[in-house]
Amino acid sequence: MKKLLLLLIASSLVVPLASSAQRKTKPRARSTAPLYNSNTREATLKNQLSNALRMAQGGQYEAAANNLFTLSRRSELAAERPQIKYILGTMLMELKLNQTAAFQFVDVIRTKHPKYSKLAIEKLSIVADTLGDDTILNYAISRVDLNDFPSNLRDMINYRLGEIKLRNREFRQSAELFGKVSFGSSYYFQALYNKGLAELEENQPSLAIGTFNKMLDARRKAPVTDTNKVAAQMGLARALYQKQDWEASIEAYAQVPRDTLMWHDAVFEQSWAMLRAARFRSALSNFQTLHSAYYEDFYMPESLLLRAIVYLYICKYDEMEKVLSLFEKTYGPVRAKIGDFLKSTNEASAFYAEIEKAHYMKTTDKSSNLRLPYIVLRNVLDQGDVKRSMHYLDKLNQEKARVESNPAFRASPLGQYALKILANRGKNTKFAVGDMVKAHLLNMRVELRDLYEQAGFIRYEMITGRKESIKKKISGKDIEQIDENIDRQFYIQNGYEYYPFQGEYWLDEVGNYHYLGKQSCE
Amino acid sequence: MLKNGFKAVAIIILALLLHKAAFAAEVIELPPEELAQESVLPVFDKPVSVKNRNVVTNKRIEADIFYGYAMTEPIANVSKLGLGIYYNTSESSAWGLLLAKNFAGLSSYADQLDEQFNLKFDRAPSPELTAMLDYNLKAFYGKMSLSKSLVINTILFGSASAGIVKYVHKTYPAVAVGLGQKFYFTKNWSLRFDLRLYANQAPVPFLAGHLKPAEPVPDYSDFEERVTFTTNLDVGLSYLF
Repeated sequence: MKKLLLLLIASSLVVPLASSAQRKTKPRARSTAPLYNSNTREATLKNQLSNALRMAQGGQYEAAANNLFTLSRRSELAAERPQIKYILGTMLMELKLNQTAAFQFVDVIRTKHPKYSKLAIEKLSIVADTLGDDTILNYAISRVDLNDFPSNLRDMINYRLGEIKLRNREFRQSAELFGKVSFGSSYYFQALYNKGLAELEENQPSLAIGTFNKMLDARRKAPVTDTNKVAAQMGLARALYQKQDWEASIEAYAQVPRDTLMWHDAVFEQSWAMLRAARFRSALSNFQTLHSAYYEDFYMPESLLLRAIVYLYICKYDEMEKVLSLFEKTYGPVRAKIGDFLKSTNEASAFYAEIEKAHYMKTTDKSSNLRLPYIVLRNVLDQGDVKRSMHYLDKLNQEKARVESNPAFRASPLGQYALKILANRGKNTKFAVGDMVKAHLLNMRVELRDLYEQAGFIRYEMITGRKESIKKKISGKDIEQIDENIDRQFYIQNGYEYYPFQGEYWLDEVGNYHYLGKQSCE
Repeated sequence: MLKNGFKAVAIIILALLLHKAAFAAEVIELPPEELAQESVLPVFDKPVSVKNRNVVTNKRIEADIFYGYAMTEPIANVSKLGLGIYYNTSESSAWGLLLAKNFAGLSSYADQLDEQFNLKFDRAPSPELTAMLDYNLKAFYGKMSLSKSLVINTILFGSASAGIVKYVHKTYPAVAVGLGQKFYFTKNWSLRFDLRLYANQAPVPFLAGHLKPAEPVPDYSDFEERVTFTTNLDVGLSYLF
């Protein structure tokens, strides 16, 4: 990469000097003063350009970038501008000023220069990846004829186009584009995962199972907690669930490693599979984990209703009552606060301010004065789009700090220009995040309304069940409630030790709880 | 004969206790994929080892009564009885006051010396009282399962103390460092063990020419003084208010 850069700079050094040499022969016939001045100025600029390029070649990136930036604004060098901006962008990349570099590459792409536009797209893909900002890249892709792309960028283009199609719910085309990403590409595993997702959206779980298995196979030698491997395992479990192969799905969820972020979702989703497989005791074991004190910051209203449903199946009406009350006690205020907040403001900045405070709480041990419940904001922070944008903001802040840490560079025109770009991008991203937060809150409000409706139905079923149970009790057909006997002794098979739960939750026990009650239905 | 009878009774009681634990009322079948397969911990934003703990000590007072045994004391009586009161400033720190009264008399070793060599160590000054300001650094909160139905919580702590040791004739400053362990068999009651190494200036009880009955009775000031190290084991019962 560095060699290529040096070669490019070297070739750039030759081009302006050669063109300058060629022109030297022509003006001989002309002898008017203004033309002489113009030629002198042009020659000076060319010299300056040559000097800047030499600096770039010599590794003096900061000085070179400053000179190139000045030259890029000179109208006399309009013809060389794509080349100057491209090299300026590469200098900025070397200085780890990726956002400022991205702007240079976008400018070059816009010029549709036969040589530098393609090169700029390649560079832009690198800085976009580093920044985690897809919008710049997608913008660039939309500006250029796809057939003009160099073959080494095809994988990236296919991947990005696949993403766009997936977002537009064109699942078949999306899966095809993801399928075109070749094995050696850095986009390969993401493409494979997204292909599986698109296939699931297309309701083709068997195809998706094949895709996720292929991904797992390709990552066989990777460490246990490898993100791609775990994501593939999770995708496989979901595909098996969609295929209604409950037992295989439960088994696949159980393979998600505990020391990964996806494990929490795996436990919850596995509980659904257990309910569908009528493994009620197993589902309740999972709920002991999910509703432990470790999850008090997690937004999981559905899990409480699911637990109530499982209790309904095993005729544990008292437990159902407790869980439904907990649901109302926890999510009633949450619902009210979301509603109040949405009514009180429409400003994206207000939504961003809340999420920023929650982000601060999440990443430090300090608390903050929040208007929305933390469990809500934590959930929003974990949404892919918000997470990506917060990460992007973080990168912008790092770049800003880099500029500000160098007083000389900060005072230079390029430094000022970089700070202006970063401020604008930061401001716009914060607004975008605010809009995302608002959209998520609106979705949550709708979801909670639906869940409350479902809670009402579940409560109705509970009352009916209780009525039947009382009838049986009166007629003497009632069966013993085994859970009432708390002193009984258990033997766990397979030689595992057993000791009773005493109300405290230990990190090393989370995920290992076992519900030992039995169903109370006749 | 009587000894064997006690042994038999002990064995029968133990067998009865074990019998209760050994024969379970019910066998629960757990699918293999649900049994613990990993020893790694789940990932949380702010991982803490325990939540909703049974024994919460923060901002609470704890009082204990203990028996102290001076493991390396050669002459004076090795036993003492004491009281302690602690205030837990957090879940990791506690400050307390200890007061221990020594038993009168001599150690069994001193009695042996009297029998064999007719040495009267009761002429030497002996410790009467110990009063210490004690700091406890609670390092580990844990739990242990003793049977299928009995789980007890434990706290392991380090201690550092400073105070006085009063002898019959004089009071000396003292410091101590140690390790301790509490076993909570309820949320309030616990058994407390403290192993401490005391260091204090103390009179040396061995005074040639003054310890036999025929020899003149020495004055307490005749005994030489030096820094003395004593290892002490306290066993007590503690209540958390």
